[in-house]
Amino acid sequence: MNSIIFKKEIYTYFRSMNYIFLPLIFFFLVISIFPLVIGPNKSLITKIIPGIIWITMIFTTLINSVNFFKDDYNNGVIEMYLTSEKSIEYILFLKIIICWFFTIFPIIIFIPIVSIMFNISLHILTAIFLTLLLGSPILVAIGIFGSALTIGISRNNILGPIITVPFYIPVLIFSASAIESVSNGLPNDLQIYVLLSILLLVLPTMPYLLKYTLRISINN
Amino acid sequence: MNISKIANLKYFYKHTENVTKTLSFITFFLFIAGIFWGLYIAPKDYLQGDSYRIIYLHVPAAWMSLQVYIVMAVTGFIALVWKIKIMEIISIQSASIGAYFTLIALVTGMIWGKPTWGTYWVWDARLTSELILLFLYIGVIVIYSSFSDKRQGAKISALLAIVGLINIPIIHYSVEWWNTLHQGPTVTKFEKPSAHITMLAPLLYMLLVFNLYFVTVLIKRVRLGIFQREKNTKWMENYLND
Repeated sequence: MNSIIFKKEIYTYFRSMNYIFLPLIFFFLVISIFPLVIGPNKSLITKIIPGIIWITMIFTTLINSVNFFKDDYNNGVIEMYLTSEKSIEYILFLKIIICWFFTIFPIIIFIPIVSIMFNISLHILTAIFLTLLLGSPILVAIGIFGSALTIGISRNNILGPIITVPFYIPVLIFSASAIESVSNGLPNDLQIYVLLSILLLVLPTMPYLLKYTLRISINN
Repeated sequence: MNISKIANLKYFYKHTENVTKTLSFITFFLFIAGIFWGLYIAPKDYLQGDSYRIIYLHVPAAWMSLQVYIVMAVTGFIALVWKIKIMEIISIQSASIGAYFTLIALVTGMIWGKPTWGTYWVWDARLTSELILLFLYIGVIVIYSSFSDKRQGAKISALLAIVGLINIPIIHYSVEWWNTLHQGPTVTKFEKPSAHITMLAPLLYMLLVFNLYFVTVLIKRVRLGIFQREKNTKWMENYLND
């Protein structure tokens, strides 16, 4: 049973490669728009590129997760999950992980290409890579929570992000501070450990929160 | 008095009409007295002159913005767990009051910042967290208003409020995390208060008045919320006709 759900989730992503490539294309598109707005001043761009990468990552996860439950909700699959004997927490956990792996993880793999385009030095690149690796699953999980909250509302394209963004702020603060420490030549162990602890707090608790939210959203 | 009676919407609506009138009068006069105390009687600050007097609005408003959030989250929790109708209404009605308090804190802070820091806005930890608090309030209000089924909207917004409570510790401890322009807390240091008692007393008094104001407005708004929810029922019709 578990393996069937696991396969089903993976097949939905593999059936249409758009699921995997569209976030990646969106990320690169938005990243490459920034120099056009800021101007071709190389030192300025190199200085603010970690922030730009993080902001773009937030946009990508937001757009990616706004309608996360839409298909399942319209098909009635969520009701099936909620009434089934299997633990829905497990399914939701799988959904979060698989969504992250197929939509956000490819972006993180391609970050080194961005670093070549924007002339980022290796130790800052490592910090960006590490913070994204630890931070983006949190972003995805919280974004999915936002989509679960707004599931009963028909036009929620803007509402979901409005609710979600304030919850991203701790992650943002610690990631930015971790990257800044490295660029100042200081150790960033503290920030990385805080990010790791937020990740280890959010990932196991989020399925339970999602289950509760979906129950409220559907019982009306 | 029985708690289950107060939790009854009908009982609450019928018995709080006179209470709100009395409370409004008391709050109004106490507020005038507090303004007078803060603006005329309290001594001048040796460093900031008279401009520090906005503290008597700024600090209580900032304090209330946090306190109301806690009230909103706790009543929301009670509403979700024990399914008490009046708690849903209290939770959602305190959201907009809290948003106003946050707005007052931000605006007075900006007005105060101009003479003391030389700029209206600084991106330091506390200002930013207060702004985020405003966004959290707005999120709760907006998600409630987007639901056509108000019961479900109240439940979802209560859940959002509870989860948003994570942000409150960040606001409190942000002062210690970042060393920035904003001065540290002056009120809570009891062992060696950095404000003199003649300045501190009106501040604590204003805090009490703001609390009273919150309770008064909350009762009024809860009455309004009950009216909106129960306007088509028999008892409301009978009560309004009497």
